[in-house]
Amino acid sequence: MSPVSICTGTGDERELQLTAYLDGELDLTAILDLERHLEECPRCAELLAAQRAMQQAIGAADLRFRPTLPQARRLRQALGAPQAARGPGGSRGSEWLAWSRHPQLRALAALLLLAIGTAAGWSAGRRWPRAEEASEHRGRAATSATPEAPAITEQVLASHVRAQLAGHPEDVASSDRHTVKPWFAGHLDYSPPVVDLAADGFPLRGGRLEYVGGRPVAALVYQAGNHLVSVLVWPAGPDAAPGSAATASSAAAGSSRRGFQLRHWSQAGMTWWAVSDVAEDRLDELVARLRAQIPPR
Amino acid sequence: MAAAAAREMPRNLEEERRRGRFEAVVLPHLDAAYNLARWLTRHDDDAEDVVQTACVRALRFFDGYQGGNARSWLLTIVRNTFYSWVAQHREQELAQPFDEEIHTVEQAGGDPEAELLRRADAELLRQGFATLPVPFREVMVLREIEGLPYKEIAAIAEIPIGTVMSRLARARRHLQAYLIANGAAGVRT
Repeated sequence: MSPVSICTGTGDERELQLTAYLDGELDLTAILDLERHLEECPRCAELLAAQRAMQQAIGAADLRFRPTLPQARRLRQALGAPQAARGPGGSRGSEWLAWSRHPQLRALAALLLLAIGTAAGWSAGRRWPRAEEASEHRGRAATSATPEAPAITEQVLASHVRAQLAGHPEDVASSDRHTVKPWFAGHLDYSPPVVDLAADGFPLRGGRLEYVGGRPVAALVYQAGNHLVSVLVWPAGPDAAPGSAATASSAAAGSSRRGFQLRHWSQAGMTWWAVSDVAEDRLDELVARLRAQIPPR
Repeated sequence: MAAAAAREMPRNLEEERRRGRFEAVVLPHLDAAYNLARWLTRHDDDAEDVVQTACVRALRFFDGYQGGNARSWLLTIVRNTFYSWVAQHREQELAQPFDEEIHTVEQAGGDPEAELLRRADAELLRQGFATLPVPFREVMVLREIEGLPYKEIAAIAEIPIGTVMSRLARARRHLQAYLIANGAAGVRT
């Protein structure tokens, strides 16, 4: 058995406090109270150390289940299929047929991307001032906050979501930037800077090609705990800001969506976008580390 | 006939717009929906069924969606769908008792407990999560894998925040004991 329990009687309450402490859900007064207690109670300190170790192991292991490629396809199709086509319990396999038989449903797929994008535009619109602030002290304005900007935001978010849903976040899977960089060189008319952030806790997973702003662009994929971060990069310039019809649709702008964050800046003659559903501060950290390591042009 | 077609047109457009909005809200969180359903059902096919049914329900309830947190909204529907599904297919599962026995397992190795826990790998952790009864497994998945705050977990699981906390505490104790018991066994062999 463990040594004499100092917090007998208050043990349950202490354990709840420890739980909230581990999860960052304790208020300041309670934190101070608990930390004082931890100094004099080896039993609680031991429990905290054990649970913290376990939480680290959980964080390091990827416990998330992702739909397989066919599953992701069926689920997305099910979203667009007529409601009457399925009863509870579903009918795996029939969706594909239902889908391909209805041309108007295929049109919906296009609408869908547009709508995601518009919603993203709303969310990025909210973030926009911050992205500008971030690039200001670099002495460079972010891609001018023109009406085109939200259209790009849409495409960036859609590319990340699509890649993640398809269970295929990278076309070239490698944590070695010396593999990833040449791969891009063979597929693009520019050479994106490729930085590995493994030492900063964001290992490079690989890269994929995306089509944004009317051109193929590089997307780097980083792992941030259980989440993925897509970093899209292409040469800054007039051709980087396409006129897009997507801005015309503002119907979904009011549908607030949370859980995705976007960051945008210009550096080394390139336009950069980072998108993820990771916690905001983690994404900010990744962006800061990345910006510090991007070689100047 | 042409007049009838003209009358129908706006309705279709309206329906398409509604569906477009729906997809914009739901699609980004489909991964989280699948993860939760997969952890609750513990099978790929069942998870897919639950998510599909949940999406059908979500579309039906979409007019009532107030534009709040889309992820919470969708996960709440997934969770409720799971509970109807499990009542139909595997009712006994909800009655799964919390195996308190495991709490008495003594640490076998000489390693400090924290060291053993830190080395727990994904396979062992998955097994450990799977042994948790559903009400405990769901809060652990939402907290440790989705990384949601207590407030959001409370909303999704429809329980008070205090209950979220006590379930997490109990679940972690259980998982800790499971990992020690099985991890220590693994080290010995």
